[in-house]
Amino acid sequence: MKRSHRKNRNAVNAASLARWIVVTAFLALAGLSYVYLTLQLYHLGERKKSVENELISLRTQNDVASVQIAALTSRSALQRRLKEGYLKMIPISERDIVRLTVPARQADENAIQPVVNEPTTR
Amino acid sequence: MNPNSRSRCALVCCVFIALFSAFSFRLIYLQVIKHDEYAGLAAEKHVYKQTIYAERGTILDANNDVLAHNVPVETVVADATHLNDREAVVDLVGNELGIPTGQLAEKLNSERRYIVIKREVPESLATALRAKLRARNLRGIYFENDATRIYPNGSMLCHVIGFTDFEHHGIQGVEASMEEYLHGQDGYRYVEHNRVGQEIVPYRGQERAPRNGYQVHLTVDLNLQNIVENEIDAAIDEYRPKKATIILMRPQTGEILAMANRPNFDLNLRSEAKPEEMKNRAIIDMMEPGSTFKIVAAAAVLNEHKLRPDSTIFCENGLWNFGGVALHDHRAFSYLSVRDILIKSSNIGAAKLALSVGEQKFYEYIRRFGFGERTGIELPGEINGVIRPPRSWSKISITRIPMGHEIGVTPLQMTVAMAAIANGGRLVMPRIVKSITTADGKAISSLSPVVLRQVTSPETARQIGDALRGVVSDRGTAAAAAVPGFTIAGKTGTAQKVDPNGGYEQGKYVVSFSGYLPAERPEFVGLVVLDDAQTNKPELNYGGLIAGPIFSRIAEKAARYLDLEPHEEIRKAIPVERVALTNASRH
Repeated sequence: MKRSHRKNRNAVNAASLARWIVVTAFLALAGLSYVYLTLQLYHLGERKKSVENELISLRTQNDVASVQIAALTSRSALQRRLKEGYLKMIPISERDIVRLTVPARQADENAIQPVVNEPTTR
Repeated sequence: MNPNSRSRCALVCCVFIALFSAFSFRLIYLQVIKHDEYAGLAAEKHVYKQTIYAERGTILDANNDVLAHNVPVETVVADATHLNDREAVVDLVGNELGIPTGQLAEKLNSERRYIVIKREVPESLATALRAKLRARNLRGIYFENDATRIYPNGSMLCHVIGFTDFEHHGIQGVEASMEEYLHGQDGYRYVEHNRVGQEIVPYRGQERAPRNGYQVHLTVDLNLQNIVENEIDAAIDEYRPKKATIILMRPQTGEILAMANRPNFDLNLRSEAKPEEMKNRAIIDMMEPGSTFKIVAAAAVLNEHKLRPDSTIFCENGLWNFGGVALHDHRAFSYLSVRDILIKSSNIGAAKLALSVGEQKFYEYIRRFGFGERTGIELPGEINGVIRPPRSWSKISITRIPMGHEIGVTPLQMTVAMAAIANGGRLVMPRIVKSITTADGKAISSLSPVVLRQVTSPETARQIGDALRGVVSDRGTAAAAAVPGFTIAGKTGTAQKVDPNGGYEQGKYVVSFSGYLPAERPEFVGLVVLDDAQTNKPELNYGGLIAGPIFSRIAEKAARYLDLEPHEEIRKAIPVERVALTNASRH
C-alpha cells in the first residue's frame, strides 16, 4: 500500500519550475512595463500638449500686450493725449539750444542772399 | 472508435479547417491586400493635417516704431460629426459670438467636418467660450489660432502701409509690395484624434515648423510724417482742396522720409473707406506740373552749354506769338538772364530756352530727369505719367511743355527730379523700404541707394540750385516759402486744371512748391501739391502763396527735428503780405 502510494507521487522538477516562474515573471513584467510605458507615453503626451497650450497662451498674452503698447504709444494716441491735456509739450526755443560745433561756411554762399518770412499764423 | 464515428469526426474537422481557412484568407485579404486602402480610410477618419500659421511680419518705421502689427485672434470652427448636443452648442456659441441661432443651426445642420463659425474672434472671448463649452461638456467646437492686422497709427501713412485681405495677403501699399517677405511660410503637423476629438499626442505624424514673416523697416520717419500729416490737415482745413499730396525725400539716398495724401482713410476701418480715399496720389495721380517743370528746360540749356546762367534772353515784354498762338507771361519782362527766368518764372523765357536746345534734346532731358517712366519705388500701382515723343508734338508743344503743360507727371516724379538738382545732378531711385530683417533683428536684405544716372553735370546742378535759391528770395515767386535761419532752394508751380472734357477749367488750379533745405547741403527735398485749393482771395491762388508757406512750416519743423543748424545771419524777415503783393505769380 505504502509502496504504491509512493509510486503515484509526481516528482516536481524544481529547475523546470524555476524556469517557468522566471519566464512567466519576465513576461508579466514585460507586459506591465509595456502598459506602464504606454500610459507614461500618453501622460507625457498630455503634459506636452498642456505645456504647448501654456506656451501658446503666454505668446498670445505677450502679443496682445505688445499690440496694446504699440497702440498706446502710437503717434495718434499720443496726439490725442496731448489734445486732451494729459501731456504737455513745450517747444525748445532756438536761444535755449547750445551748439558745440561751428557750422562750415561755403565761399559762394552769399551769392544770393535769401530772405525769410515771419513765422506765419494759421 | 468505429469507422462511422471516425468519418464524422473527420467531416467536422474538415468543416473547421475550411471555416478557419476562409477566416484566414479573409484576414490576409483585409490586412495585407487591402491594407493601404483601409489604413487610408482609418487615417482619413482620425488623422488630419493641422496647419500651423506663420505670423505675418511687422512693418516698422526708420526708428523702429510699429506701423503694422498682428493681434492674436481665434477662428471658431466646428466638426459636425463630433457635436454631442447640437441644440446646446447652437445656443451657447450663438449667444457668445453674437450669431443668430437660426443661422448657426443651419450651418451646423450637416455632417461636414470643418465648418467655420466665426473668424477674428478676440482672444478673451474665445477663452471664455472655451471654458463654458468645457464646463457643459459640449464637444465638436474647436479653436484655431489666427491673427489679424492692426495699424496703431490709424490713418497716418495709410497709403504707404496699405492693408491685407481677410486671408492675410497684402493688397495695397507696402503690405502688397513686400508680400513675399511679410507673409512667411505656414507649417503643418499631422495629428490623430481619438473618438471624442482629442488629439492623441504620441501619434503625431510629420511636422514642419512655420517660418514667420520678416520685418520690413521703412525709410519713413514717423516724426517727420507726423509733421507732414499735421500740416496737410491744416492745409485741408484752410484751403479745402479736392486733393493734396506732400512728400519729403532725402536727395542723396532717395529715402522717402514722409509721404501724405488727402483724402485718406483709417487702416483699421478700411472696409468703410471709399475707393477715392485709398489712392496713393503721390504715385498714381497725374498732374500738369506747371512752372516747377521749368528746371528741366533750364538744366538742358546749361548742361548743353547753349547758354550761361547770366546769358540774357528777350522775353517779348510779356506777350509772344509763336505758331499763331499767344504765349503770356504774368508780368511784362524784357530781358531776363537764364537764372532770372527761373526766379521770375517767365513762360516765354522757358519756351525760348527749350527752343534753343531743340525738340529732340529737350525731350531727351525730360526723360533723363525720369519723367515718363516709373521711379521704381517699392509701392504697387505706380504709373509712368504721360510724356509724348517729339513726333507727336504740335507746333507749339515746344513752348508749352517747358512751362509744365501738355505733360502728365506724378508728384513723386517731380520730387525725384528736384532731388536730382539737389544731389549734384545725380538721379536717385526713391526708396520706401530701408531693410528687411528677421524678428530677432538678423538682416535679410538691406537696400542701398541706387543712382540711376547723371542727369546733368554737378556744375549745371549747382547753377540751377543758385537760381532756385533766388526763387525763395524777395526777388522770386516764393518768398513765403522761406524758413528763418536757412537758405531754401525751390520752385513754385501753378497749373490750370485740365478739364476732362478738353481744355482747362476756369479758376481751378493745381498749386505746388518743390524745394530743398538747406540749399548748400540739402538734407531733404519736399513737394507740396494742392489740387483746387479754395481761397477767399482767388487772385492770390498761387503756388508761391499757398503751397510755399506750407512747405515753409514743414521745413522749419523738419529742420528743428533733424537738428539742422540755422544760420544766425539769415534772420531778416519780410511779411508774407508784402511778398504776396510784390511777387504774386501764377508760376
